[in-house]
Amino acid sequence: MSHQLVIAVPAKGRLMENAEKFFAGAGLALVKPRGAREYRGAVAGLPGVEIAFLSAQEIAQQLGAGGIHFGITGEDLVRETIPDADERVVLLAGLDFGAANVVVAVPQAWIDVRSMGDLDDVATAFRLKHDRRMRVATKYINLTRGFFAHHGIVDYHIVESAGATEGAPAAGTAELIVDITTTGTTLAANGLKVIEDGTMLRSRANLIAARGANWGAAERETARLVLDRIASFRRAAAFRELRTRFPGCDEKLLAAAREKFGVETPFGGPTSTGMLTLHCPPGEVHAVATFLREHGASSVVVARLEYVFARDNPLFEMLEQALPPVENRAP
Amino acid sequence: MTTAPNTADDSRAAQLLATFEREGHVRVRPAILQPAEPFLALSGEDIRRRMYLVTDLDGSELCLRPDLTIPAALDYLASDRAGKPAGFCYLGPVFRQNRRDGVGEFLQAGIESFGRDDKAAADAEMLALGIATTAHYGLAAPDIRMGDVGLFAALVAALGLPAAWKRRLTKDFNRKLLLVNDLDQLTLAGTNERPEYQGVLAALANSDPKGARALITDLLSIAGISTVGGRSVGEIADRFLEQAELGASAALPDESCAVIERFLAISGDPASAASELRCLADAAGLAMTPALDRFEERTRLFAARGIDTSRISFATAFGRGLDYYTGFVFELHDPERRATGQLVAGGRYDGLFARLGRTEPIPAVGLAAWIERLALLGGGR
Repeated sequence: MSHQLVIAVPAKGRLMENAEKFFAGAGLALVKPRGAREYRGAVAGLPGVEIAFLSAQEIAQQLGAGGIHFGITGEDLVRETIPDADERVVLLAGLDFGAANVVVAVPQAWIDVRSMGDLDDVATAFRLKHDRRMRVATKYINLTRGFFAHHGIVDYHIVESAGATEGAPAAGTAELIVDITTTGTTLAANGLKVIEDGTMLRSRANLIAARGANWGAAERETARLVLDRIASFRRAAAFRELRTRFPGCDEKLLAAAREKFGVETPFGGPTSTGMLTLHCPPGEVHAVATFLREHGASSVVVARLEYVFARDNPLFEMLEQALPPVENRAP
Repeated sequence: MTTAPNTADDSRAAQLLATFEREGHVRVRPAILQPAEPFLALSGEDIRRRMYLVTDLDGSELCLRPDLTIPAALDYLASDRAGKPAGFCYLGPVFRQNRRDGVGEFLQAGIESFGRDDKAAADAEMLALGIATTAHYGLAAPDIRMGDVGLFAALVAALGLPAAWKRRLTKDFNRKLLLVNDLDQLTLAGTNERPEYQGVLAALANSDPKGARALITDLLSIAGISTVGGRSVGEIADRFLEQAELGASAALPDESCAVIERFLAISGDPASAASELRCLADAAGLAMTPALDRFEERTRLFAARGIDTSRISFATAFGRGLDYYTGFVFELHDPERRATGQLVAGGRYDGLFARLGRTEPIPAVGLAAWIERLALLGGGR
């Protein structure tokens, strides 16, 4: 059997563009050796990896079933598609795209409904008055059921909706909806408002590992290489590099800077000639630059980082902890 | 894969059905494949994850029947007997997904008695047939657990609480929540959540209700809003004004809370429970006499059927967790616990037919028996 590490990437749209950009940034350029319409690909210069281009929904299903090793898809789909998601997958890293909230939205005309508590009461009143349950249009059946149960709401009934869910109340096929939204404008345009405590999930794209995939020694070794590149890329994005020559710098001053600004010293304290390299969270760059000059630095140079490789591999450690030990196969 | 229950081999279950038929209940054989909608509409989303659902070619949702009450009721509604007194019995497989032991198919026998206006007598017949069922399997003296959803409804009505509180208490009671543990923690989504509406709501609370309702309805109409999402403008206005009536206080009034706690603590045999309930009603000035009269009449009819009522464990807090039950509810258990869960369960569900779309009410009472559990008792023949 093959020992390829299979990574699933969304096959179309913004998710695909962003995922490809993310992998390229991490030094994992996705290539489609047999043309752009091919649904199987590879990573340039890294044998042992197979890229599967699937729909975001299919990626969630395959992660649950263990048919792929890694996938990039939305947390909303993972939580909806996979029962007991945390037992079957590991959300290794949240990515900075694909952000959207899964929310409960009701007609704006419902001026008496602000909170889930109101909705609970209205649901019961509706059943008593109409002898039927309020209908909730959604494609997030499992998420809705869990969230409504959490709020003690029982008098409702889910109507499965595959698309254009926000139109259901106006069309008369449901009283309210549960749907995904980024800005809320589509909901507002359809005369709907989001319930104040009705945000079920703040979702974004994630790098996710399937616990149930075939994790032999070869797959794990390839995963270690892939995750090392991703970790070094993410670490680089989390910091700016500050360099300065700083004769008056001592350990006490560095300790203060670590404490105050969260800076790191990847190469230790200043060299014999007083050269100092600091890694600093992007938001603290100006404060640190000021701090250093106040304490005697004459100039501070700041640069973006491409990769920061370290001895440890936190993403791989997270994966290993979630996987059973490698089976000892007889030779 | 487990072996499917085989009705043909189970002559004991067939004999049980014969006794039901001798009592005048006509054997029915509803279809196994049923429309899913009535089950979801009646039992809510809780039942969905336990149902076996399939979709047919034109996209309508069907299910393997998770019980036989609704199929029997639908067949009765579609017949020319609808609304008239009629008794039915059934025996057959029902299908519910069960994650714990994985058995998705089991046999259920049961009785449905529809359209009888002598409700107390019909209730007593049902309990007697339930005990006859366990006796048929060798258990003549099962544990009898009993409740009465109607008494709680009468209490809530007599307390004179705001409509929102009535709904909330009835809902929580029906869901078998341990109300008594958290009664003082219960709050409603009150007006204190919306400070910007406070002034308007306070003003409306003191105005005449008709005028206030007209004002809200007009305002919504000016905004071009008529019926949106199944709720009419009138319904929205009514509940908006109820919020005004509730005022800033979102907690259950102390005196009501105390009465409900005392009520829910009452349990014992039906006779002593009834006298305790009368004491409570007198002390709290609650008009519950008609409900208690019906309760005691039913207890007398149990005795007339030869049931030793001192052996019934009645509890005011006992419910069956389904909101279409409206009155008497019961479960029969094995005192030696050879089977897990109830052997027979049933009760009155006068709300059933309204929920199935019938406008005139039809009284309904029934029971269901779990054949595999009864077979574990081993006795009889």
